[in-house]
Amino acid sequence: MSDVTFTFEGHPVAARKGQTVGAALAAAGQLALREARTGGARGIFCGMGVCQECLVTVDGMPNRRACLEPARDGIHVRRQAFPGEPPGASRGTPPIGFADLAVERADVVVIGGGAGGLAAAVAARGCGLDVLLLDERSTAGGQYFKQPAAALREPALDRQQADGAALRTRADSAGVRVLDGAEVVTAIDAGSVLATRAGRAFIARGRALVVATGAYERGVPLPGWTLPGVMTTGALQTLWRSYRALPGRRILIAGNGPLNLQVACESIDAGASVVAVAEAAPLASGERLGALTRMALADPALAAKGGGYLARLRRQSRLRLGVVCRRIEPAPAGGLRVEIGPAAGGPGESHDVDIVALGYGFQPSNELLRALGCAHDWDERAGLLRTRRDASCETTVAGVFAVGDCCGLGGAPAALAEGTIAGVALARALGGAVTAALAQEADRAARELARHRRFQAALWEAFAAPRLGLSLAAADTVVCRCEDVGKAELLAAAADGDPAIGDVKRRTRCGMGRCQGRYCGPALAEHLAAQGDRPLDERAFFAPRGPVKPVTIADLVGGGER
Amino acid sequence: MREVDVLVVGGGIVGMAAALDLARDGRAVAIVDDGRHSGTTANAGSLHVQMQSRFIRLYPDLAPNVERSLPLYVAGAARWRELAAELGADMEIKQSGGLMVAEDEAQFSFLAAKCARERALGLDVHMLDRAELSRIAPYLGEAVFGAELCREEGKLSPLKANEAVRRALDALGVLRLGETRVGTVARDGVGILATLEGRSAGTLRTGKVMLAAGSGTGALAAALGVRIPTEAEPLHMNITEATTPLIGHLVQHAERMITLKQLGAGQVVIGGGWPARFTGADAFPTVDPASMIGNLSLAQHIVPRLGALRVIRTWAGVNTTADGQCILGPLPGWPEVFAAVPGDAGYTLGPLVGRMAAAILSGREPGHDVSRFGVERFAAA
Repeated sequence: MSDVTFTFEGHPVAARKGQTVGAALAAAGQLALREARTGGARGIFCGMGVCQECLVTVDGMPNRRACLEPARDGIHVRRQAFPGEPPGASRGTPPIGFADLAVERADVVVIGGGAGGLAAAVAARGCGLDVLLLDERSTAGGQYFKQPAAALREPALDRQQADGAALRTRADSAGVRVLDGAEVVTAIDAGSVLATRAGRAFIARGRALVVATGAYERGVPLPGWTLPGVMTTGALQTLWRSYRALPGRRILIAGNGPLNLQVACESIDAGASVVAVAEAAPLASGERLGALTRMALADPALAAKGGGYLARLRRQSRLRLGVVCRRIEPAPAGGLRVEIGPAAGGPGESHDVDIVALGYGFQPSNELLRALGCAHDWDERAGLLRTRRDASCETTVAGVFAVGDCCGLGGAPAALAEGTIAGVALARALGGAVTAALAQEADRAARELARHRRFQAALWEAFAAPRLGLSLAAADTVVCRCEDVGKAELLAAAADGDPAIGDVKRRTRCGMGRCQGRYCGPALAEHLAAQGDRPLDERAFFAPRGPVKPVTIADLVGGGER
Repeated sequence: MREVDVLVVGGGIVGMAAALDLARDGRAVAIVDDGRHSGTTANAGSLHVQMQSRFIRLYPDLAPNVERSLPLYVAGAARWRELAAELGADMEIKQSGGLMVAEDEAQFSFLAAKCARERALGLDVHMLDRAELSRIAPYLGEAVFGAELCREEGKLSPLKANEAVRRALDALGVLRLGETRVGTVARDGVGILATLEGRSAGTLRTGKVMLAAGSGTGALAAALGVRIPTEAEPLHMNITEATTPLIGHLVQHAERMITLKQLGAGQVVIGGGWPARFTGADAFPTVDPASMIGNLSLAQHIVPRLGALRVIRTWAGVNTTADGQCILGPLPGWPEVFAAVPGDAGYTLGPLVGRMAAAILSGREPGHDVSRFGVERFAAA
C-alpha cells in the first residue's frame, strides 16, 4: 500500500502517505544518512527534530531533517556529504525589518501541543480567552500522545493514542487556534515569540505565554552511540506509533525507566524481535518494594500497566536488570553488535541486532524559559534544572507560565493537570470568565497533580540508578556529536586551568554545532561542576540563545515559502 | 596575599597581548577577568582595515580621528600575522581581502571618495565595477552594483587565536584569574593593593596596573578619579551551520549595517553592528530578535545563496567605543596605572595595542606615534 514514491541516492523508495522521509527510509533499511565532520555516517537518533543527525538533501536543499521531512511523491533525496552545500541559483530578496513581519494576536500564546500545552489551551479557551497554540510537528499531540500523521489515521493503536486524539479534538472544537508545523525561533518578551511556519516568519503576540515544550532524551555517550541504527527509545517509538515504520527486525533496548519497557512491548507487538531490555536499575531488590507499593497506591492503573510490561518481558526472558549498554560496534555480518553488562565491569553478554535503542532518561526543553530569564534550580536526584514556579505554574517572570516536562520531567498525567491549572490561573489574571465548573476542574487538577507527583517520586525511587554522565564513554568516544569532540579532548580542556563551560566550548567547539549542545552540554556541565566545585545554576550550562533550533534564513526573512 | 609586578585588568586580546610581552620581559603578571562582558571571547574575527561605513554614519564627528588612525589598522593586521608566527599557531588568518559593496551609483561614489582618501593614507584599496566583482566574488547577488576592495582586510578564528595566546601565557606562568573582578585599587605605601571579588576573591599587591577592560575601563578609571569615556556597544551576531567554501572575502556594505564572512570551519558569521541589549541586574549581553531579522535579511539580500542555510546560534558581542582613537598611557595622578583601550575595532587592533601598552609601561618606545592617545586628553575635554 505504497502511495508515495521518492528516490534515495537515485533508487526508488516506496512510502506511505503521511510518513516522513526518515521513516520510509528506516522501513526500507536505509539507516545511514548524513556524513559526519570526521567521516562516517549518522542516522536518525532523536527522531523528533532535535539532534540534527539525520540531515539529507531534498531536491538540492541541504540540511533537511529526514525525521520531520514529509515523504512527497517524486522528490529526490540524497545523503548529505559534510558539510552540505546550498543550491547554486537563488534570487535575492529586498531587505525587511521586524515591523514587516505578520503578527498573530491572541490573549494567550501556548508553545507546544503535547499533553500540557493542549490542556492549558483547552482550559484557557474554556474561560473565553483567545488561545493560539503553536506546535512544531505536522500533527500536534506531543511525544506522549504521538499522534499519527493525518493520512495514517487508522484506528488508534491504544488508549494512549486515543486519549491524545480526543484532547486534540476537544481543543479544536473549543476554538483553540492550533497552528501545526509552527516552529518557535526565539522569545521576544513575556507574551510574544518569533516563529516560522511553512517557510514564513511571524510574531505570535499574546498577553501571556504558556511554555509547554516537553523534553528530549538525555545524551549518554558510549562507544558506538553515533552509529546508524543506534537511536533513542523515543525515536524507535515515534517511528512506529506516528509513522508505522519498523527500522529493523532485531532490537535491543537499553536505558533507565519505564518508557523502555513500554516501547519493548510495543515493538514486539509490531512484529519486531526484542532480544533484550537492559534496565540500569536493579529494580527487584527488597528495599524498592516500598516504592513499588507507593506507586500502586498513588495510581493503581498506571502501576498495573507498568507491572504488565515488566511481567511480560520477564516471562519472555528478555529483561536484564542492573546492566547498561557498554559498547556498540558494527557486527561482522552487518547490523550492530552490542555488549550489555554491569556499568562497573564484569561479565556481560553480546547480541547482534539491527537496532539499539537507548533511553537513559530525559532533559527538559527549557531553552525558551531560560532565555526569558525564568529562574531554575538544580535537582540533584533527577540531574536536571527545574523551572521555579508557583502553585499556578507561573514562573518567576510575570505572565510566563510553564507546564509539563519542560519544567523538569513530571510525566504526561502531571502535565495534563498542570495545563488545566495554568490555563485557569492565567484566565483569572487576564480577566477571563472562570466558570464554577472550570474552577472545580482546576481544584481537581491540583489534587490529581499531588497524586501524580507522589507516583513519580515513588517511580524514580524504584528505578533509581547511578547517573552515567561520561562514565561509559571511552577516550575516543565522541561526546559532542555535531562537532565530533571526543571525551579525552573534552576532559583535557576541562582540566586545563579553571575553565567555565563557555571556555571549554570555545576551546573544543563542544556544543557549537547544530543540536546547540543539547546532548553534550548537560554532561559537561555536571563534570565541570564536580571538578571545579561550581554551583549547578543556570550559568553552569551553555547560554540559552535563539534560535531554539536551527532556522533557515529564507524562512525568517522571505523567500522560504513552501 | 598574591604579589605580582603587573596586574592586568581584563583578559581580552589587549590584556593578553600586553601580559605576553610583560611576561616575556620577566615580569610577574596576573590577569583578572570578569568573563561576562568580554568582547574578545564573543568576537567574530574580522580583520578591519578600511574605514567602516557604520562608524562614519553613526559617529560622523569622530570619523577624522578614525581616519588618522588608519595606518594603525594596517599595522594591527600585520601584528596578528607576526603573533601567529611567534607562537607557531594556526589562527586561520586569511587576508583575502574585504569588499565594501554599493547598491547604486550614489553609494559607489561615496566609496570612491573614501577609497581615494584611504589610498592617500597608504592603504591597498581599489574600486571594482560589477563585471570585476562577478569575477572575484560570484557569490554576490544582483543587488550589488560595485564595491571597494581592501586587500589587507580579512579574518581569523578568534577561537584558535585566543586559545593560542592563552596557552602562551600559561607557559610563561602568567596568573590568570577568571570570573574575577577588581573591587578596589589603592596605594598601600609599598605598591598598589587591589581587592578581588568573585571566583578568586582576595587581595593582590602589585607594582603597576594596566586597565585593559574594554568598555569597563571607564568605570575602573572613574574609581581613581580619572575620566575615560568608554562606552559599551552590545552588538548582535548570527552564525550559520557549516557549508562548503562559498564566501572568500570579508563583506561589508557602503550604507547598511552588515559584515559577513565564512570561517575556516565553514560557518558563515553575520553581524555588522545591529544592536543587542543588556539585560538583568548584571547587564548580561542578550540578543535582539529585531536585529536578527534585519541583519539576516540584509545578508540574504547581498548573498542570496545564504537563504538556504540555517542560523544555528546568535550571540551578543560587545564593542568598545570612545572617541575613535586608542587610549594609551598612564592615568593623570596615577603614574603606576596605565590604560590600554583600542577605541574601535578592538580585536583587529588588540595585539598591537597590547604591545604598545606593554612598551609604554616598561618605558620603551611603542613603535608608533601615540602622542594623540594619552588619557589626559579626556580630562581637558
